[in-house]
Amino acid sequence: MLENYLKNKRILLVDDEQELLDMVVSILKEDGFYNICTAGSVKEALGAAENFLPELAILDVMLPDGNGFSLMEKLKDKADYPVLFLTARGEDEDKFRGFGLGADDYMVKPFLPKELIFRVTAILRRSYKSENPFVKLHGSEIDFERAEVIKNGTHISLTAKEYNLLLALYRASGRIVTIDALCEAAWGENPFGYENSLMAHIRRIREKIEENPSSPVSLITVKGLGYKLTVEGK
Amino acid sequence: MKSVPKLIGRCLRILLFSFVLLVILNLVLFVGVMTKQTNNSHPWATAKEAAEALEISDASYRLPEEIMEELKAEDVWAIFIDNDTRQVVWKTENLPETVPMTYSISEIVSLTRGYIDGYPTFTGEREDGLLVLGYPRESFWKHMWPSWDYQMIANLPKTALMVMAVNGMVIFLIYMIANSMLLKSVKPITEGIQALSAGEPVHIRENGLLSELARSINRTSEVLQSQNYQLRKKEMARANWIAGVSHDIRTPLSMVMGYAGQLQCDTGLTQEQRAKADVILKQSERMRNLINDLNLASKLEYNMQPVKSRTENAVAIVRQVVVDFMNMNIDDKYSIFWETPEDLCVCRIQADRDLLKRAVSNLIQNSMNHNEKGCRIFVSVKESGKTCEILVEDDGVGASDEEIEKLNRAPHYMVCDENTVEQQHGLGLLIVKQIAVSHHGDIVIRHSLRGGFAVMIRLDRD
Repeated sequence: MLENYLKNKRILLVDDEQELLDMVVSILKEDGFYNICTAGSVKEALGAAENFLPELAILDVMLPDGNGFSLMEKLKDKADYPVLFLTARGEDEDKFRGFGLGADDYMVKPFLPKELIFRVTAILRRSYKSENPFVKLHGSEIDFERAEVIKNGTHISLTAKEYNLLLALYRASGRIVTIDALCEAAWGENPFGYENSLMAHIRRIREKIEENPSSPVSLITVKGLGYKLTVEGK
Repeated sequence: MKSVPKLIGRCLRILLFSFVLLVILNLVLFVGVMTKQTNNSHPWATAKEAAEALEISDASYRLPEEIMEELKAEDVWAIFIDNDTRQVVWKTENLPETVPMTYSISEIVSLTRGYIDGYPTFTGEREDGLLVLGYPRESFWKHMWPSWDYQMIANLPKTALMVMAVNGMVIFLIYMIANSMLLKSVKPITEGIQALSAGEPVHIRENGLLSELARSINRTSEVLQSQNYQLRKKEMARANWIAGVSHDIRTPLSMVMGYAGQLQCDTGLTQEQRAKADVILKQSERMRNLINDLNLASKLEYNMQPVKSRTENAVAIVRQVVVDFMNMNIDDKYSIFWETPEDLCVCRIQADRDLLKRAVSNLIQNSMNHNEKGCRIFVSVKESGKTCEILVEDDGVGASDEEIEKLNRAPHYMVCDENTVEQQHGLGLLIVKQIAVSHHGDIVIRHSLRGGFAVMIRLDRD
């Protein structure tokens, strides 16, 4: 599997409910993650982080000896790695507070196992993309490190816009990404009126990545809604 | 406070109207009284008439009988003064004794203007003499110097108008001063009442003309504030309780969903066992949606959910919801169709992104929940004039006319304590309604042209 390097990542899991910890561990393990360390409190988490050197932390907000937000700050003081909040508090202010402090994502309990896996994978892909720059597509490969596509042994470079669009599609590979989200990835916030430009860029990307750009296999259009990138070996 | 200037204007108009009316009324009355009192001038006419009617026969004078009767009726005496001798040559029988029988020129001038022995006299001239009528004392008041300055009479209309104008101005001034004094004391009262209706705390200074009224308003405000506080406290407690319960359910439900999800995908289990896990998972998801809905509904109901509106593209928001459903790998028996016109890429609205996403996803979820055998769901965003219309419809089982009517009229979930079982069924839809209302929009629930159920959210375009 091409993304095996993601499965090696050390994940620190902090929640005060042992049963929930067991369940999350079992979900992660079932998907191939095996480097998992659990903690039931802020103190335990800080102690574990010292030796375990996590590469991703999944934190509960409410902990017996503090809250997840301050724990994140303490953890990030030592080393910078992505943090995913997993909490029973769905209130907006919590969400914004979490993101304001530099959280990478936020999930409200209860959640579906596949949703957790998707989020964890997306964060890891985003944070550690340079470790495995090669993304295998049907008939070509994307090298994000060099911002180029390798097709039939030829290196074709990507423009900045094409790179951003492909990156957004890759992070959510296997899922539909809306036209609006892609425009935002390429042109920033409130990208009104770029739909036609987006179509032009997609066409050019297809010319670079697809064997037959007129009948695409890797980058599929979902009419009116968005596009989906299918990555090989996933 | 808009009503106060209106009130002043109205009072002023009434005042001006009454002033004009008063002047007209006075004139009418004056003319009426004056015409009724024609008596004033009749003695002169009578005297003139009598003088002309006085007949001479055989060197003696005689008044015709009807004039004599007339004079007698009014108790009037008469004398005739001869021009040459200035002596009384004829008199009526009722002549008082005190009336002299001879007159000098100056006496004649005096009696013409005034009185003889206190009797008001009126004269009628003849060629040969002067007929004098004497009316009873105090029957007439005679103006002895009947002359006015010419300028005064010439300027009379101007002077009268000026006097009237000055009168008007003085009345107006007095009215305005009195009014402004009254208004000054009324203003805080009206402001207080307006603040009361807006639910704001009120404290008016309790002095002046309307201090009692001010005191009552202050008391009312205190009562209202304390009632509001109690109510708010109760509402907060209820909303917090719901939030607390839903929070506590989330963790155990996570475990149910987590393990059920794992079992559902466990290839080591039989098809039947995995199907059972699937049922647990689906039902847990329904519970999750219910908890979320209940929590949000109570917050929206008690205004505890801040609506963070900003300019958003309704097409992008709705598109994201549809894609989220598709990415969730929904059951094959449901298919979602995006029917927004291709040329509509942007429909700007003022909206809270999360709340609107929630509303649309509730509508899609609603179609799935009510069509267990599957259905096609059609989602579209359209612009209609100044309105942005978000339509979610399906070709499923739909609802009867009565049900649709009931849903359109349904009261708020939180305030209705009757038929709650029935209401709970439509909680998801009520949230959509609440969200639409919190965005100053509305929803229309109707039959879909495709045979199922249709809900349209209508919001103002930016």
